[in-house]
Formats: sequence, C-alpha cells, structure tokens
Amino acid sequence: MPDRILHWIDERFPLTAMIRGALNEEIPGGARYAYALGSATLFVFGLQMITGVWQLFYYVPTVDHAYDSVNYLRTEVPFGWLIHNLHYWGANVMIVLVGLHIARVFIYGAYKAPRELTWLAGVVLLLVTAGLVFTGAPLPWDEPGYWAAEVGTTIAGTVPLVGNAVKRLLRGGDVMGPLALSRMFVLHVVVLPATLLGFLAIHLVAFRNFGSVGPWDESKRKNAGEFWPDQAFKDTVVAAFLLLLLVSLCVYAPPPVAGPADPLDTSYIPKPEWNFLFLYETLKFLPGRLEPLGTMGIPLAGILILVLLPFLDRSPERNPLRRRFAMAGGATWVGFVVTFTVIGYLSHPGGVGGTTGPPPSGSSASLSPSAREGSRLFGSLGCNGCHSINGKGGSVGPDLSDESRRGHSRAWLAAQVSDPKSHNPNSIMPSYPTLGDTQLNQVVDYLMSLGAVDPSAGGASGNALPAKEKPASPAHPPRHVAPPSVPTTPRAGLAPTNPSLPPAAVHGAGPLSGSPGQGPPGPAASVIGSVEHGARLFRLYCASCHGTDGKGGVPNPGAEGGTIPALDPIQRKFFSRDPGEFATNIDRVLQHGAIPKGPLPEKSMLTFGTTRSLSQEEISDLEAYILFLNGVERAELKHPGIPPGTWFLVVIAAFALVVAGLTGYRALLFRKKPGAQ
Amino acid sequence: MEEKTPHPDPPAEATRRGFFRVAIGILGGFIGLVLGIPLVGSLLGPAFRKKPTRWARVAVVESLPLGQPTVVSFTNQSSEGYLRETVVRNVWAIRRSPAEVTVFSPICTHLGCRYDWEPNSGRFLCPCHGSLFGLDGKVLAGPAPRPLDTLPVKIENGELFVEWERFELGISRKIAV
Repeated sequence: MPDRILHWIDERFPLTAMIRGALNEEIPGGARYAYALGSATLFVFGLQMITGVWQLFYYVPTVDHAYDSVNYLRTEVPFGWLIHNLHYWGANVMIVLVGLHIARVFIYGAYKAPRELTWLAGVVLLLVTAGLVFTGAPLPWDEPGYWAAEVGTTIAGTVPLVGNAVKRLLRGGDVMGPLALSRMFVLHVVVLPATLLGFLAIHLVAFRNFGSVGPWDESKRKNAGEFWPDQAFKDTVVAAFLLLLLVSLCVYAPPPVAGPADPLDTSYIPKPEWNFLFLYETLKFLPGRLEPLGTMGIPLAGILILVLLPFLDRSPERNPLRRRFAMAGGATWVGFVVTFTVIGYLSHPGGVGGTTGPPPSGSSASLSPSAREGSRLFGSLGCNGCHSINGKGGSVGPDLSDESRRGHSRAWLAAQVSDPKSHNPNSIMPSYPTLGDTQLNQVVDYLMSLGAVDPSAGGASGNALPAKEKPASPAHPPRHVAPPSVPTTPRAGLAPTNPSLPPAAVHGAGPLSGSPGQGPPGPAASVIGSVEHGARLFRLYCASCHGTDGKGGVPNPGAEGGTIPALDPIQRKFFSRDPGEFATNIDRVLQHGAIPKGPLPEKSMLTFGTTRSLSQEEISDLEAYILFLNGVERAELKHPGIPPGTWFLVVIAAFALVVAGLTGYRALLFRKKPGAQ
Repeated sequence: MEEKTPHPDPPAEATRRGFFRVAIGILGGFIGLVLGIPLVGSLLGPAFRKKPTRWARVAVVESLPLGQPTVVSFTNQSSEGYLRETVVRNVWAIRRSPAEVTVFSPICTHLGCRYDWEPNSGRFLCPCHGSLFGLDGKVLAGPAPRPLDTLPVKIENGELFVEWERFELGISRKIAV
C-alpha cells in the first residue's frame, strides 16, 4: 500500500527522485563526526522552529500580557517548562554550533572556490541567527530582555547618519514600548525565520551541488563514503546526544524567572547575554568618541572580513598548516572574542543593588572619628534603606550626597533626625528619639561631612556602566501600574501622599491590625516576580525595618511585641503553600500598608502600592523574594506534565534502552557464524 | 544428490549499512518521542483541565438579616489562562437560621439576565423575560427552566465563604460550566 501511494505521488511529483538527490552524496574520505556540525545546527534550528511555534499557542505579544503568558506556559501548561526551556537553551546551543560549524569550514578551507556562494549564504545565516537572538530576547518582556533591546537599539542609534532612523525603525518610535515589542515579534517569528529558510535552501543546494569538501590530504580522500546512511547515522547520533544535552540543561539549568520588565527600575543593572558580552566588554575600552568604533566598527569589520574571505583568500591550498596567515587571523579573532567574553562574564557592573552597609561618603579616611561612627550608625539604623549617598542606597527619601551644602545647620539636622515632624508635620521619616546626644552628634557630623569632600574619591565604581545603559528617565510607562490620568513619577523623593494614611505610617509593621484583607490585592499579586531582583529590592527598601534577610528584631516602641515582625518566617496568617495565595496575602499589605497593633506604634508599614512608591513590577519581585524566604517558590510548576527530574530519568532510561538494543542488534548482525571463514 | 552448502554470511558492508538504517530509524523514533510527548501534552493539558475554584470570604453571617434576601459583594480572583484579575461579584444571600445561609447566583437560569428581589411580592423577578422565583429559588412563573442556582457555601468562624461558579443556561439541569 505505501508503495502504491508513493508510486501515485511519483507519477505527479518527483518525490523519490528528490529524496535520492538529497541522500545520495559521496563524501570524500568517508563519513566523520566532524562533518555533523552543519546538520546538528540544522537539527537545533528545526527544534527552535517547533518549540517556537508551540510557544505561540500561548504567547501574547503585548506589553501587558507577554510576561504573564510566558510564565503561564512555563508553570501551568504541561511540559510548557520544557518547551520554553528548550527554546531558550536551543538558541544558546545553536550559536555555539554555528560558531563551531564556521570554524570547521574555515579550517578545512571549504569557503574556497567553487563554494563561495555556500559560504556567503552561511554568513547571511549567521547574521540572521544573531538577529533572531536579538529580537527574541525582549519577547518575554522581562527585565533582561527589555534592557537588552533597550541597550541594543540605543547602540544601533549611535551609527553615524542613519543611526537614529534605524533605532526608530526598530522601536516603532522613540521608546521601547508596545510598538517595539510588535516589531521584534514580527521580525522574530516571520521575517527572520523566512529569510533564514530562504538562505538555508541556497546554502544546502549550493552545498549539494559541489558536495562535501572532504580532507585536504589527498591520500585521505580515496576511501569515499556516502551520506546515506553513513553520514546520516553519525548526524542522527549527534542529534540524539544534543537532545539529551538540551533536556539536561532544561531540567538542571532552567532559565531563571527574571521579573517583569520595569522601565522605571533604577536598581536593575543590565548586562548582555554571553553571546554579546565581547562587544559589551569592548565598549569599555572605547569610551567617548571612540564608542561607535566598538558598537559598529568591530561588528562591521568582522562581517566584512567574513563576506570577503573567499575573494581575499583565493589560493586553492586547504591545508591549514600551509595557510598560516589565515589561521593566525582566525585564531586572533577567536582569541579576542573568547577573552573579552570571559572578561565580560567576570565583570560586575556597579550600581545601587546589593548595598546593605553604610554608603561611602567620600574617603572614609578623611572623616573625623565622630563622623566615621556616625557613618556606622547611618548604616545600622537603616537610613540607607531610604536615603541614597553617591548613588548607593534607597530612593524613598532625599539623596544626601551633598547634605553639607544644603545650608542645614547642625541644630536643624539634629532635630530632623530626632523628630522629623518638628520641621514638617507630614514627614514620613521615622523619628529616632532614643538616640543619645553623642550618637545624634555623630550622625550629624557624618551628615555634615557629606559633600564636603570629593564624592568621587570613594564612591564611584570603576565598573560603572556606560551612560547609555542607564537611561535617566525612561519614557515608557510601566505595565500594570498607573492609569493614564495618574502621572508616573520617578521614585526619588516620592513620599506617600495618601490622605488616608495616618501621619505615623512610615516604616515596618508590628503585628498588623488589619488582616491580609484590608484592601484588594493589586496587579502584582498575580505576577511572578524575580527572587534575585526581589532580594536586591528587599535590601534597599525593607531590610532596615524587617532586618537583614527578613529575620526581624528591629525595635518598634509602642507596637504590640515591641519589634517589627520578621518576614522569615512570616506570620502564619499570611502563609500559604499555594504561591498565588501567599503572594495575594502579602500583596494586600504591600499595596495598602498596615498599622501595627499597639497603643502608639512608632513605625507602620508603608503603602508601597497605592502611593506608587514602588512599581507593581517591583512589588511582584519583593513578593517572590518573601515567598522564597519562607520556602515557597513563586514560579512553582503547577502543571508540569511530568516533573522535570522524573522526565529526565525517563529520557535517560529510554536512551539507555535504545543504546542497549542497538548494541545487541549490532552484535547479533556481526556475530561470526560457526564455520564461516 | 546435491550437497548442501552452508549459507554465506551477508557482505559486511551491506550488514553495516543495514544496521545504520535501523539505528537511524530507532534513534529518530527516540528523538520523535522525546519531543512529541511534550508537544502533544502541552496542547491537551489545558484544554481538558477542570477549572479550580476558590472560596471567597463574602460576609459576616451575623450581619445578614434573617429570612431576608440580601445582595452581598465580594472580590473574587478570576483566572482564565494567563489572565488573572480581581473582580467584584454580587450574590444573593439568605440567612435561613443563625447557622444556615443559602446563596443564589445572581444570574437568571433562563438566559443570564440579572434578576432582582421584589420586597412587596416577596419574589425574585427577572426583568428580561418575566421569570419569577420564590424565596427558596423555585420557579413560580415565566420561562426559566430550573430554579435559581445555589452556590456552594461554608461558614467558618462566623464568616460566610462562597465558591463562585457559573452554570449552563436555558436547560433544566444545573451543569457547571
């Protein structure tokens, strides 16, 4: 029956002839695993196509749904975690394979005549792959993806003459917003894959036309093998191992949930993925007017060399030992990329994230002993949770970097610290009436020293990011946050202005008078935030009251129990094993604040949400971190299909069975029969 | 009589190629299954999943008048795929005894309109097509095919909890959507 169907088709379409044409190819010197790199790349590309299309069943390319739809796929769709992770790791592995494939073709001299067109089509495929990586990054609309696209399109904007037009074309306007996401989406799922398929066809047809180049040593070219089934077997073995590798990475190194994109987030420090790290690192060596050399000059030079290579190196010699100039050039380029990638990987960009101790105030050596002690108090009292000094610290209160130049007298500062309401009855700053005169003087000495010395002496980080990577005022309104009628202001200096907020409502919380139901949960409750980013935010905004890592113990005179409660472990009424319910319980407090029980609590929980002192994205990150502190994973796989660990075992067991079966079958086939010569 | 000769071994090359073909088929099948099972599962799973329900705190039982239908509002976490939102819902609650409360869905069982309580006649009236329901929810008149839909309730620590559900409309049987 299948033969009859095939015959029927062949009478109308040359299917068998096409298959034979594709499979029957002589390979000089025989099949080799080294030749499997091209087909391995093709296999992973096919995997990317399939997992990409499958993600489209759930993905929504809008700024308000992209992040949630991706997380829905990852956590609530059976095997969604695997499909998403395969796509993520497939992209990374594909870049490595493309690099190795190019390196092999280069070493074998396979770009030389008459295979120039195969090579050129390959160069286009490389560029399209890079384009796919770039346009795919922002699609989940998470922090790394958003910032990668923000920085990447900004870099495109630095190109002389046409840069701004290119940037606007990519973004669909001024800023990274909904139009930019739509454009990246269409480029990623339609334009670039279609281009890739077209050039892949050219690449394969041109390759088949002249066949495999084979070894450069004539003596090794004599024993010709065939693509089918010799090379096809090796290609399939490599594909199977690649799949095992990818499944292992998906199970044991899943991409982290990176938190929703937040253009207003100044605590997030963008750093490119490993594949663009060498360029990122190069830029550090090319500051100012030289920057375009790094952003455009080096990539363009690299592309130009690749394009011109078959025309520059026209000697028929393929033995790499006799092509020392070409080999030296190739090795230099690889060395440059690898070295700068490693340096980039090891570099730690500076920023405010992760600051817990007292911020520097210039050269600490230049401080008086009293001011040094004040600096220590500034940290231990948690002042840096709200106040920033030289770019480090929180942004709820004013920046104190140049406090000594603001014209405040010592008496004014002392009064401000011990009783802020003496200057402004609506001040949200907590009072510190328990500080003794000596301690108060030390804090004032420290404050008076701020700005009196060169702040760059000790505060600036040698690893500070290029200014381009820190937009001062992102123009795009964050997702979920403010309705159009409400201006979204930067957080610096923003104070809770909710008239319903009691004057004392400032910080921390004792046992809360309200249960987790004193107001409806906000949008953040249903957003899966980033634990890592939440930890950073926690240190900035929460640790001063709830203690380092949420262990509590910070005094709160007048509140029941006398201390601000710990968040690790959190009070029982908030806790739930269900991450959504747990997040909803604490979200109500984060959104609306709370006043601790007690006769006259000195400190109360801030209303982070309704006052917009934190964005919904940041609140979701904080919630993820608080859940993490209590042993609950915010991004828990609710419907994994088969749990990752079990799936890995199933796949390994199946593969072992396949290998054992094939080994046995092979032994049976090649067993010498009795009497055989 | 012709002498039997031993069957010759197949040529090694042909055997090797044959093994390759079989191995390609089996490894290809392995790859296909490792990818195929998740792909099919990801499409089938959500399509046949029963929607989870959650208890929502609605009211303090003591605040409900005895024997008198009362509209109570509560916030409910609505979830549809990746969309999650907090919605405010209304239900009719009737406290029949100090510890017994009946809660009716506010949706008319005929075609889904919102009905109202007529205090003068002591009946629920649907304004769309004139269906009338008694205090016990039974159909008194009009086209409604079944009584008002009751919602699952529980009372804990004096508080009333309701599980929000929707039901098929226009049929005599109460079937959850």
